[in-house]
Amino acid sequence: MNTIVSEEPQALSTYPSAQTPRHRPSSWAVAWDVLRRRPTGLLGLAILLFFIGMAAFGPLFYPAELPSNPSNIFAGPSPAHPLGTDFQGTDTLALVITGSRYVLLSAFLAGLFTAVFGTVTGLISGYYLGVPDSIITKLADFVLTIPSFPLLVVLSTVWKFGSPLAMGLVLGLIGWGALARAVRSQVLTLRERTFIEAARGLGFSSVHIIVKEIFPNITSYVAMKFLLAVTGAIYASVALFFLGVLPLSTNNWGVMLQFAFSQAGAMYTTQSLPYLLAPLACILLVTFGVVLFLDAVDEMLNPRLRRG
Amino acid sequence: MRGFLLRLARRLVGALVMIWAVATFTFFLIRMIPGDPVAAQLNMLEQQGMSESQAAARVAGMYGFYPKDPLPIQYLHYMQQMAHLDLGQSISYTGVPVMHIILSALPYTLGLVVTGIILTFIVGVIGGVFAAIYRNTWVGSSITVVGSILHGIPQFMVALLLAYLLATAHPIFPFGAPYDAAISPGITWTFLSNLGLHAVLPIAAFIISGFGFWALAMKASVVTTLGDDFILAAELRGIKPSIRFRYIARNAFLPLFTYLAIAIGYTFGGAIFIEQIFDYPGLGLLQLNSIGVHDYPLMQAAFLMITVAVIVSNIVAEMLYTVIDPRIRTAR
Repeated sequence: MNTIVSEEPQALSTYPSAQTPRHRPSSWAVAWDVLRRRPTGLLGLAILLFFIGMAAFGPLFYPAELPSNPSNIFAGPSPAHPLGTDFQGTDTLALVITGSRYVLLSAFLAGLFTAVFGTVTGLISGYYLGVPDSIITKLADFVLTIPSFPLLVVLSTVWKFGSPLAMGLVLGLIGWGALARAVRSQVLTLRERTFIEAARGLGFSSVHIIVKEIFPNITSYVAMKFLLAVTGAIYASVALFFLGVLPLSTNNWGVMLQFAFSQAGAMYTTQSLPYLLAPLACILLVTFGVVLFLDAVDEMLNPRLRRG
Repeated sequence: MRGFLLRLARRLVGALVMIWAVATFTFFLIRMIPGDPVAAQLNMLEQQGMSESQAAARVAGMYGFYPKDPLPIQYLHYMQQMAHLDLGQSISYTGVPVMHIILSALPYTLGLVVTGIILTFIVGVIGGVFAAIYRNTWVGSSITVVGSILHGIPQFMVALLLAYLLATAHPIFPFGAPYDAAISPGITWTFLSNLGLHAVLPIAAFIISGFGFWALAMKASVVTTLGDDFILAAELRGIKPSIRFRYIARNAFLPLFTYLAIAIGYTFGGAIFIEQIFDYPGLGLLQLNSIGVHDYPLMQAAFLMITVAVIVSNIVAEMLYTVIDPRIRTAR
């Protein structure tokens, strides 16, 4: 790390003039290069792709109404049912696969909304300062103070979170505060740097400076926060269904956990352990994938960490 | 001292504004609930044989406003009632003031959360110090690895697994009530030990899920402090290891206080899961159950009280920080 940083001044001095554009490797090439040198990152990506594939194509292999068999409830693992069956005799593996779509799609959207809201408010508040800054800072403090799960429970009386979009939007709306604060503090230091001063001196508009000059400096940070927000949103949406305040009509990992927890007998027999553990294991595996992939993402997007 | 009081006053005003905003939010939220519970309640009471004005008065007692009034008047009535600390009457516990129910649940949540935060903090900080000092040995690295893994596991999963393993599969600890029904509450050893035994699993869930955060934060902070010049200078003066340890711990400890606000909100929010999973009768469980029985005055009050608890705890933590760190006290 140290040696890489010390190379920076040299790199700056050899910064190519406009006449001789230096050849820059494409971002795909950089990404592949980083992944090749970091097998753990590759493993993380593989795990994530596996789950994305499961959410995208898995439900296609199953009928909309999964078959149940009342005479074969809480069955242990068998060739026909690799993860056993639930309280209705439905195959647990089928439940896990069909249940992944809602959870992962809503988590992805929640991460996206969190990243967009947090970045936009943070950029505005840090760059313009003054009135917009104090309004946004107060709002962010407010959102950060209200405990999110009690709030989500209260909101569930009005909002049924039926679609992944609704879930993602609400989670984004209550989750942007921390990112906004962090982006703001980064913008506060960036805006005093000489290259921003130069851009201002050249008469670029504020929007141009924010989008073209400041934002590229925080993309890697925002991308990491996006991935972390996705894992946070998986927990939040699963937890909300687990609490039992949302309609349990659709199938997803949270609904599975709620049934495993609340249906008589499920918590008391070791036979049904796969039913309880399967959604938990999936959630942990996705988190594991994100954490492994994060390290590599950091290196892909942050040129200072990249080796020449 | 004057600065301290001034800061406290400013924080209290901010807290009041926030509580007002939350109360306003729940007032309008209840109006948006599908099926209009207020009108439904009024209808039901009228069908039970009450006159229109009687029914309206009953509803006013529950929600804090007369349902037939125009909205701004309703809002004013509601706020007036709030200002008198009257949170209305419960619907599911017919006629019981909501404040009464809330206050009987509050000690359980506060007990769990405050003990949880303090113990998690202590265990995490000690773990972090060890992880930093022995960071090149297997002790340090195993603390770091365990911390990162625990940090990644959601709280409700930890609680669920604890409940499964130690309460149902192997019934080592009791759960389902804050104390055995046979024991009468009082300041006796049997009661207090029973109360403690019932709280072991919920608090353990807080500690296990929060340990990683504090341990990793403390480790980072200690490692930064270890490189500070004053530590080097002290080492060159030849101080005893125990004093060196105190120097490091004290200084590394301070930045952690800024995370306390986040931890407080997180822990109060997480209490809702812990209470549901261990069936512990605190505010979170109250809020959840009130939704099941459509007791919206109770739901609104439970949410408000959780928020107030978070805000008050935040103020206490911040004031504590200004007392502990002299730099903050004299600055500004």
